Amino acid sequence: MSLLRRAGSRHLRRHPTQLFLAVLGVALGVAVVVSVDLAIQSSREGFRVSAETVAGRATHTVVGAAGTLDERVYTRLKVDADLRDAAPVVEGLASSPALPGMALRVLGVDPFSEGPFRPYLAGGGTSVDVARLITTRGGAVLARATAERAGVVPGDSLPVQVEGRRRRLPVVGLLEPEDALAREGMRDLLVMDIASAQELLGMAGVLTRIDLRLPGDTAAAAGALRDVLPPGARLVPAGTRTAALSGMIAAFDLNLTALSLLALVFGMFLIYNTMTFSVVQRRELLGGLRALGVTRREVLAGVLREAAGVGLAGSAAGLVAGVLMGRGLVRMVTRTINDLYFAVSVDRLALPPEVLLKGALLGVGATLLAALPPALEAAGAPPRMARTRSVIEDRARRAVPRAAALGSLLLLAGGVTLAVPSRSLLLSFAGLFLAILGMALLTPLGTVVLVRVARPWLARAEGILGTMAARGVVTALSRTAPAVAALVVAVSVTVGLGVMIQSFRGTLGRWLTGTLVADVYVSAPSVVQSRAEGTLDPASVRAMVSHPAVAERSTYRGREIVDSAGAIRLIAIDLAPRGEAAFDFREGDRAAAVHAFRVGEGVLVSEPLAYRRGLSVGDTLRLPTDGGPRAYPVAGVFYDYGSDQGVVMMSRSAYGASFDDGGVTSLGLFLRPGVDPSEVARELEARAPPGQTLSVRSNAELRRGSLEVFDRTFRVTAVLRLLAFVVAFAGVLSALVALELERARELGVLRANGLTPRQVWRLVTTQTGLMGLVAGILSIPMGLVLAAVMIYVVNKRSFGWTLHMDVGPDVLLQAVGLALVGALLAGLYPSWRMARTSPASALREE
Amino acid sequence: MDAAVRAGERVAILGPSGSGKSTLLNLVSGIDLPDEGTVRIGGTDLTALSEHERTLFRRHHVGFVFQFYNLLPTLTVLENLLLPVELKGAVEPRDEARARELLERVGLADRSDAFPDRLSGGEQQRVAVARALVHEPTLVLADEPTGNLDEDTGQRVADLLDELVRAHGRTLVVVTHSRELAARMDRVLRMSHGRLEEVGA
Repeated sequence: MSLLRRAGSRHLRRHPTQLFLAVLGVALGVAVVVSVDLAIQSSREGFRVSAETVAGRATHTVVGAAGTLDERVYTRLKVDADLRDAAPVVEGLASSPALPGMALRVLGVDPFSEGPFRPYLAGGGTSVDVARLITTRGGAVLARATAERAGVVPGDSLPVQVEGRRRRLPVVGLLEPEDALAREGMRDLLVMDIASAQELLGMAGVLTRIDLRLPGDTAAAAGALRDVLPPGARLVPAGTRTAALSGMIAAFDLNLTALSLLALVFGMFLIYNTMTFSVVQRRELLGGLRALGVTRREVLAGVLREAAGVGLAGSAAGLVAGVLMGRGLVRMVTRTINDLYFAVSVDRLALPPEVLLKGALLGVGATLLAALPPALEAAGAPPRMARTRSVIEDRARRAVPRAAALGSLLLLAGGVTLAVPSRSLLLSFAGLFLAILGMALLTPLGTVVLVRVARPWLARAEGILGTMAARGVVTALSRTAPAVAALVVAVSVTVGLGVMIQSFRGTLGRWLTGTLVADVYVSAPSVVQSRAEGTLDPASVRAMVSHPAVAERSTYRGREIVDSAGAIRLIAIDLAPRGEAAFDFREGDRAAAVHAFRVGEGVLVSEPLAYRRGLSVGDTLRLPTDGGPRAYPVAGVFYDYGSDQGVVMMSRSAYGASFDDGGVTSLGLFLRPGVDPSEVARELEARAPPGQTLSVRSNAELRRGSLEVFDRTFRVTAVLRLLAFVVAFAGVLSALVALELERARELGVLRANGLTPRQVWRLVTTQTGLMGLVAGILSIPMGLVLAAVMIYVVNKRSFGWTLHMDVGPDVLLQAVGLALVGALLAGLYPSWRMARTSPASALREE
Repeated sequence: MDAAVRAGERVAILGPSGSGKSTLLNLVSGIDLPDEGTVRIGGTDLTALSEHERTLFRRHHVGFVFQFYNLLPTLTVLENLLLPVELKGAVEPRDEARARELLERVGLADRSDAFPDRLSGGEQQRVAVARALVHEPTLVLADEPTGNLDEDTGQRVADLLDELVRAHGRTLVVVTHSRELAARMDRVLRMSHGRLEEVGA
């Protein structure tokens, strides 16, 4: 190693605290990005693998309009169209008390048709005994690992629950795939003969889809099958549904990723601080080296090399930490996807090398980028015998107006970017990051102004020490400004996210209160938390509505409709008169909209759906129906915060006219005056037919449950917010430690002149406290701007929701408190160290 | 101002603080550029060179002794000596031998593996003197080399500087407040109000 390199690396090693904090900054930043990435990839991978396992080798599938298909279609395909490679499939979700927290995918197949599609089910070479599967009523086959987890062996029976109906399924065989991928895909599979599955899932006479293997493209195949398929059935390439479902979580993923990148940005502040300090510390030495003939390029390369070392070490640590954190995060992310979107179970953290490589490159790249300004500063250092500190500070002070001007420009650029009438989320985040950067550049000016305001007060309260503390912030601006900026950004992001979540929760709460107008809601327990699924059997419906306390009832039928533009939730409602109050219209005349809805002349669409598909009142929405595609006039756009996918509501009569489906998914019951909804709910639960569990909840319980799901959803955000704050805090700590250690001589002089350790402690904490206060005050407007951007732009473009901004005084007080406490805490170590150092050694150290 | 120093000559520049002595040294070494006029070393006009070229020129032809030593705290004594050699090109075994020999001459052969913070001020300046000569520069520039040392130590360092520069036949320009040090030189110039006057040999 060359002597210059050796000198640089020894310098880093001689300042272990600084080095540790810098490596920590990179490591945390990389860890957060990698863990979020891994969690997202793992959930997607889990979903993809299990979807592909179920889809098998099909090239196309025939699907019904609203998720089901008459089983006679299969016979027609086989007989009339003479299709050899066709397999009927029934799919549904189940849970098992023996496998808590796992959604089981019930796959009903005809084993004799399975050969070309899912050879592992056709009997050859596996332990699946086709004869037993077909002849055993309710017989099921599951993966060996899953059976072991449930504690069952072939011959036992597995307790399961489907839409609240409890059954015991005889286990007739085990799936033992050899490769890991197939094992992963079959983990949540419960394979049954098609007739057993239909019975279990309550899908007598219908199929979920028909898998086909067709030569040629979709258009040609569709042309050939046109005459055979009934009007509502469509031929789509295999994987269409998987892609549509996968697309549902794109905005969710992107928001998480953006949040994770924020942690990396904070990490960059930390690196910038460390490298600046390391350069400032060596300013005389660098000047001396330049005099000895070391070129600018060599100095620049030297500083960047050190930064690269820090970046590599931090990235390596960050990758390890990211994988560890990813394991925890994947559970939270999967839980949210299960709560809000679709059932997916992920056991394994996917470790795609590209994610790890991306994390490492981001870590090293961000480090080099953050180290560039100090490296340029070092390289630009004229080869003087000695460069005084005041030169650097003079330059820093002169840069304040320029930084503010640049900050204003960036802020403006961010504003313009955000105002561009586009739906691009990437553009929104670019605008948001520009705004954050702009505001960070404005903080030095804000700091100078606020400190000037505070100085007389501090002088009055603390005397000369107060004046010194205030002056110290401004005279060491090259050190204090980045620290304050890092703190301001961290706290304002915390404020921004806090206000956004508060506003979201407030809006959701008000919406739930307005929407949940029925007293009691009944549905079958569902695997996806946020919505009712499945079908209530007629006996249950009768038992519920015949309760003497029930005055009116609305019935709901929810179906998932997947078309080329994505997934839509279709809800058919037989609306009770009292239920009309539930609609809160964003667009459309209320009376006209409700009338059109009731008489079947129009449908109501949710705000996210209207946003996503550009729909307004008077437009038409084309939906696939059992009778073929139909266009429905949009009669109204209503606020809906239950799903970001989009909901279309039509009257039960309109639904009945287009869909061959008499099922009911859930009930909204309006009770007679004077009865207690919770009590009635308990009585209704007891009325459920034997073997059937029903979810019966009063509107207060449902509201509470919905808010719980909301809170769970934002737990990931809270974790990321906390991590980002930890990184920023480390940045502030490193800046303050550097600042105070650099003042060792000045403090030594003060100590030599009779300042007690206690007074040193007061001086340092007053100064760090002042910086915290300044950061807290500056972060309020910045946090509110960020909140407004997240609420009105990012959220709108991600999910299409209109949220009302709720700003409580608590959030603002928290901001100041957080910054103040953060800065005071960060000041503890240096003040403790300074107060302990003997004046003689402090004086000598210089 | 107009002054010329012959090859192998040893010149002292005296003058009160703020008279521009160090600026003159910066001009001579190519660290700074004059607003007008030229600085010529050997056949090279420094004012015609770019910043990068002047840096490389310094690397090859100039040795520096600073008032505050400016040794690299993270390099050992021997490594500090080898740094200018390495900047010029790869370090050969004979370079290391020369560095050790110089250390022997300045009386610090037994401290070659010590870090500078373990040395006294005088010892550090002796290392700095050896460093200024190790890469065999044409010109040695010394800025107050004894300014930070007590009288006896200053004397020793001055002896060494004098002796080594003579022995190696280098040209020396030394800026100093010390009349004793100045008296050892071939020629003494005085800076005053931005003017340079010959005081006498």
